[in-house]
Amino acid sequence: MKISFYPGCSLEGMANDYARSIVSVFSDMEIDLVEIKDWSCCGATAAHSLSEYLSVVFPARNLSLAEEMGLDIVSPCANCFKRLKYSQHMIKKGLYDIPWKVQGDNTVYEITRFLSQPEMLARVQKRVLRPLKGLRVVSYYGCQMVRPPKITGFFDYENPQSLDKLAAAAGAEVIDWSYKTTCCGAGIGMGRKDIQRHLTGRILEKAKQSGAEAVVVSCPLCQTNLDTAQSEKDERPLPVFYITELIRLAFTEHAGSGWFRSHFADPSMLLDEKGIL
Amino acid sequence: MNAERHIIGERGNHFLNRVEGDTGANISACYQCERCTNACPVSIFMDIKPHQVIRYVQMGRRDELLKSSTIWVCLSCETCTTYCPNEVGVAEVINHLRNLAAKSSVEPAERPLAVFHRTFLEELQRFGRVNEFWMINSFNLKPGILKEKWKSGVLKEEMLLGIRLFKKGRLHLLPSKSKGIKRIRKIMKQNEGILDR
Ligand code: SF4
Ligand code: SF4
Repeated sequence: MKISFYPGCSLEGMANDYARSIVSVFSDMEIDLVEIKDWSCCGATAAHSLSEYLSVVFPARNLSLAEEMGLDIVSPCANCFKRLKYSQHMIKKGLYDIPWKVQGDNTVYEITRFLSQPEMLARVQKRVLRPLKGLRVVSYYGCQMVRPPKITGFFDYENPQSLDKLAAAAGAEVIDWSYKTTCCGAGIGMGRKDIQRHLTGRILEKAKQSGAEAVVVSCPLCQTNLDTAQSEKDERPLPVFYITELIRLAFTEHAGSGWFRSHFADPSMLLDEKGIL
Repeated sequence: MNAERHIIGERGNHFLNRVEGDTGANISACYQCERCTNACPVSIFMDIKPHQVIRYVQMGRRDELLKSSTIWVCLSCETCTTYCPNEVGVAEVINHLRNLAAKSSVEPAERPLAVFHRTFLEELQRFGRVNEFWMINSFNLKPGILKEKWKSGVLKEEMLLGIRLFKKGRLHLLPSKSKGIKRIRKIMKQNEGILDR
């Protein structure tokens, strides 16, 4: 099976560890993940905030490149995913001149939706060598991935399940909670730290109250935001894992040294306690 | 008591019709149930609440909307749109107002946020991809930004964060490029007015 990959800018920077875990998991699952050659930025929040037109054209270039390859797309970033889907939606409406040859017909998968399809989920379960027994997590989807359902196709937006299913497949114990899709404020910190703190603080607090020992995410912006908000002095840090980090962990006998090096909320103590490091 | 009374329709329907046409949002269908505002995670930080934004559009009160902090504070999290019983498209309307404000001569109520969006697009047309490290540096060099960060104490916090990020290997110092920049720059040029303020 072959699919194209649109990493997006964060995976080259803040989330380079996410990129590594994705490549490893897909290769273990025998899925041929082909990076879209010469991809460019989707424009993220900035483009749609300043010009709807730009928010349609920027992703369109990448859609066009993937169409040339004849492949569907996997997007590991909730924001990129939504921008790609939105662009397709608008291309179909035909309201804008698009300078690239593009139909908007490819399927764009958000990574957890791709991996939690029944056939993929079965592949994950089959490859698990060491279930992450006793690791209690909450899954956090963030705001960009699921809404609005008409664009994202997440019709279970009230209580999405893709991350939950994958974390459970890796053997973790997934706790239910009410903040799965409440915005974490990653995008607003540059101008309004107060609002960011308000939103981030609440997610972390509610996660701890639910009894979770870690949060599992699939959005590089959420991970960076929730992880780096935690201070070094925190007595009980709450590690924030990418779902592919957990799957990768479950696929191997021993974690590689440095796998979690870039985490602010250090997970090594927790994983050690559970005997899964 | 607010003595000023505004009569629906006193300014005509031009603005309402235009925004409805541009966004495809059913603004007229709003019956002020306030579900959008109740669902919004940041309504407490807004000067004009989401349901009021819709009412203001109905009433043609464009200037107040473009001057509001709401249009910049909104996270585009789409909660309002998703839970509106009348499919009004609240988030789309707010985003459209943000677009209008960006192109207008109105001084944005949340200047750093507006400057940040512009900086992001400048970086995008510079490399075709956005490098977080370069972007933050460019943002800090914009007039007034460093001073504001210094005053609020955010600067020190950010520098410490930057050092930690670097040590953890999360800062990529060399920007990577996409050959798309040629075309991207041309598109940006054709849409002048977005960046040149
Ligand atoms: S939820 Fe919809 S109908 Fe209710 S106030 Fe908001 S926009 Fe109007
Ligand atoms: S999109 Fe904006 S207005 Fe709507 S709920 Fe989110 S933050 Fe509030």
